[in-house]
Amino acid sequence: MQLLDTAAPKPPTGGRGAAAPAVTAPAHGRWQRIKAARWSYVYLAPLMALLLTFVVYPIFGSLAYAFYRWNGIGSPGDYVGLDNFRQIAHDAIFWRAVGHTFVYAIVVVPVQLLIALVLALTLNNRKLRFASFYRTLFFLPVVTSPAVVGVIVQLMLSNFGDSLNRWLLDAHLIGRPVDWLGNPKIALGIIILVGVWQTLGYNLVYFLAGLQTIPEEVYEAARIDGAGRLRTFTHITVPLLRPVGLMIVILAFIGSFQVFDLVQVLTGGGPYFGTEVVNTYIYHLAFGGNQATATEPNVGLASAASFFYGLLLIGFSVLQVLLFRSLAKRRATGRA
Amino acid sequence: MSSLSRRGFLTASAALGGTALASALTGCSSSSSSTPPGTRTIDHWDWFVSQEPWLKQEIALFEKAHPKIKIKRTVQVSDKYPDLINLAFRGGSAPDLLMIPSTPALQEQVADGWLRTLDDYATPQWRGRFPDGNFYNGVDMVEGKVYSAPFSGQAPWLQLYIHNGLFKQAGVTNPDGSVKLPKTWDDVTAAAEAITGKSGGKAYGLGFGNVPNTSLPWWVELFVRGAGSPAGYGTDLLDYRVGKWTFGSDRNYTDFVELLLEWKKKGYVYPSSMSIGDEQARAFFERGKFGMIVGGVWNQSTWTQHHFTDYSLTTLPSPTETPKAFFYYPPGGHLWALSKNTKVSDEAWAWFDWLYSPAAGQRWVESGQGLSIFPEANKNAKVTSQQFQDYIDMRQFALPMPVPAIRNPDVSKVVVPTVTPDLPDVLAGLYSGQLKDVSGALSALEDRRNKALAEGVKQAQAKGAKVSLADWVFKDWDPTKPYQNKPA
Repeated sequence: MQLLDTAAPKPPTGGRGAAAPAVTAPAHGRWQRIKAARWSYVYLAPLMALLLTFVVYPIFGSLAYAFYRWNGIGSPGDYVGLDNFRQIAHDAIFWRAVGHTFVYAIVVVPVQLLIALVLALTLNNRKLRFASFYRTLFFLPVVTSPAVVGVIVQLMLSNFGDSLNRWLLDAHLIGRPVDWLGNPKIALGIIILVGVWQTLGYNLVYFLAGLQTIPEEVYEAARIDGAGRLRTFTHITVPLLRPVGLMIVILAFIGSFQVFDLVQVLTGGGPYFGTEVVNTYIYHLAFGGNQATATEPNVGLASAASFFYGLLLIGFSVLQVLLFRSLAKRRATGRA
Repeated sequence: MSSLSRRGFLTASAALGGTALASALTGCSSSSSSTPPGTRTIDHWDWFVSQEPWLKQEIALFEKAHPKIKIKRTVQVSDKYPDLINLAFRGGSAPDLLMIPSTPALQEQVADGWLRTLDDYATPQWRGRFPDGNFYNGVDMVEGKVYSAPFSGQAPWLQLYIHNGLFKQAGVTNPDGSVKLPKTWDDVTAAAEAITGKSGGKAYGLGFGNVPNTSLPWWVELFVRGAGSPAGYGTDLLDYRVGKWTFGSDRNYTDFVELLLEWKKKGYVYPSSMSIGDEQARAFFERGKFGMIVGGVWNQSTWTQHHFTDYSLTTLPSPTETPKAFFYYPPGGHLWALSKNTKVSDEAWAWFDWLYSPAAGQRWVESGQGLSIFPEANKNAKVTSQQFQDYIDMRQFALPMPVPAIRNPDVSKVVVPTVTPDLPDVLAGLYSGQLKDVSGALSALEDRRNKALAEGVKQAQAKGAKVSLADWVFKDWDPTKPYQNKPA
C-alpha cells in the first residue's frame, strides 16, 4: 500500500491553476503540518536541547577561546588574534597527528567493513544455530570501554611481551626483542588492530540490519532463475545493501577520525608523537601534555586546533558525499 | 527468526542496570559510619600512592586526637592533578586542604583566589619551628603573606638502584663477596654487560618504564650531574652560572645520550622499557628482570611493602669517580595549602598544623618516605632499613641553589611558555630512533627553551614587571658549594 501511495500521480506543479494554492497555502499549511506532527516535536525536544547544550554550544563557545592565549584558569584576557590558527597550521606535530589519524581510518575502515560483512553474511544464515549468541559475542567489545580495553592490552603487552618476544626469537621470526609500544610503527599497528576488533560489532549489526531488509522473495526468485551463491551475492545482496553500506562507510570514517581513548591509554600518543592522533594532540594542548613534569596547558591553542580539525573533517565529509553522489550518478547513467 | 529479541535485550539491560545501581547505592551507604554529633569534615586532596601508609596513619592519629574532626581523603592521579584541581576550583568543589599543584605557579593560584593566606594562623612562633631561611616570596609566600610551608628535607631526589641478586649472579662483586656499586659510567656499562651476558637472556643490565615520558629524563639528570652539569629538566633548573639551558652546548648531555643508545644497541636495556610505566618497571626490577633502575626514595617504600630488600643504591655516577655537580634545591618549599573558600578553616588549619608537626615529620622519616624539614625529626627517627639509611647519608650531595625570585620577586611574574617537543619528547624520539642526530636535537631543544624564557620575560615586561634575562644569571654560583640567597 505504501508503494502505491507514494507512486500516486502528483498534482501538476506548473501552470496557472497550480500556482495559486502554492502562494497562499505555505504559512497556513506549514503550521497545520507542525500541528499534526506536534508529538514528534515534543519527543524530539529533549534530545535537541541536549544537542544544543553539549554539542552546538561548546563548538561555538570554544571558538571564542581560539583567539586567546589562555591556560584555562580565570577568564581569557590575552588576545592573540589568529596567531593560534597560524601556529597550528605551521606545527609539524599537528600534521603528523593528522597523518596518523588518516592512516588509522584508512586501514581500520576497509578491514573492519570487510570482516563485518563476512560475519554478517554468516550470521544471517537462518540455518546457523546460536546466531544470537555469536552476535552478542561479537558485539561485546563495543560495549566495553575503550579505556578499559587499552589498559588491558597495555598490561598484556607489558606482562607477556617478554614471553612473546622469546617465542618469536625462538621461532627465528625476529632478530631482537621488540618493544611493543615503544616502537612507533608497531604501536600504531597494535592500536589499529585493537581498533578494528573493538568497534567491529557496530558495523556487524548495521550490516545485519541491512541484510534483513532484503526480501527473501528476491533470493527465491534468483534461485529459481538458476543464480548461484556468488551471482546472488554480487547481483542481489551487494546492490540492495549499497544504500546501507554507504551510510556505514560514512559512519565508520567519522568514528575512526574521532579515535582518542584507545591511543591515550595505550601510548599517550608516544613515543615522540609516533602514535599521536589529532584528538590526543588537542587533549595534550588543553590539559598540559604527557610530560615528566606538568606543563602549562594552552586551551586557546587547543580550541584553534579543534576548530581547524573540524574544518578539515567537514571538507573531507563533503568530498566523501560528492564522491558517492558522483559514483551513484555514473552507475545510473551506465544502467540507462 | 534468529534475531536478538528486543524484549530479552531490554530485560537483560534493566537487570544489569538495576544490579549496578544497587551496588552503587550499597557502596554509598557504607560510607556513612558512626560519627559523633557536631563532627566537621575536612575535604583533603593529595596524590600520594607509595606514601599512602604514612598518610593513612596520620589521618588515624589525627582523628583520634580530634574526635570531632573527620578527614575525607581523596587521592588523585598525580599527572592529572593540576587539571583536576583547576576544575574543582572552577566548579566550586575545591577541597579544604589540598596538595599544591605544580601548575599554575603559586602566585597565579593566589591571584586566582584559590589559596587562603595562613597569616592569621602561621604566627612568627609557629614559623619558628622551621629552620631559618625557609619562608620566601615565590616559594611559600606571595607578596609577604604565607600560603604554605616546606615539608621535606633535602637529599638527592634520584638514585641508581642495584639488584643485589643479579649483581652477585653476574659476578659484579668486591673481593669480600659484597655487591660492587658502580661509581662511574664505565662501571655501569660493565655491570650491565655482565648481567645481560651471564643471565642467558633472562635478565638485562638496565631497565626503566618510560610511559608516560617520565623516566628517561631521570636517567639523563642523574648521570649528567655527576659529569658536572648543574642544570636539570625542571622549568626552574637552568644553569644559573650562565642563566641558560645548556642541553646542546654542554657536551655531557650528548655524551650520556649516546652512551644510553649504545647500551640499547648492545641489548643491555630491558626491551619493553618504552612500553611500561615506572610502577611496572619497579615491579620488574623486584622480580629480577633487570639489574639497575633510576628512581627516587619512593621506590623503597613500595619494595618494603613487598618485603623486597635485596637491593642497594648509589647516586651521581660520573665519568670519573668524583661527582662534579650535585642535586640542588631552593630554600623553603611548599606542599599543602588551605583553600580560600574553605568553610572549616580552623579544623583545616588543625590538620595542616598536624601534617607540619615535627612528630609527623619523624613518622615520615621512620616510614622511609624521605627526610623531614625538621632536623630533630631526622635525628630522632628510628631508621631500621639499611637502604633508607644509605639515602639519608646522601644528604651531602644536595645543596641550596640560587633562586632568581628571591633576588628579584618580579621574576615570579614571568610565565615561561610550554616548549614542544621538550626534553622528555626529544629523549623518547632519540631512544625510539625517530630522531637520529643527538647533538642537533639537543641543541634545537636548548634553543627552544631559551627562546621560551626570553618570550616569557618579554611578556612580563610588557605587563610592567621589572625583569630581564640577567635575573637568571648568578656568576658567583659555585655548584660544588651551598648557595646563600640574598633577598632583594
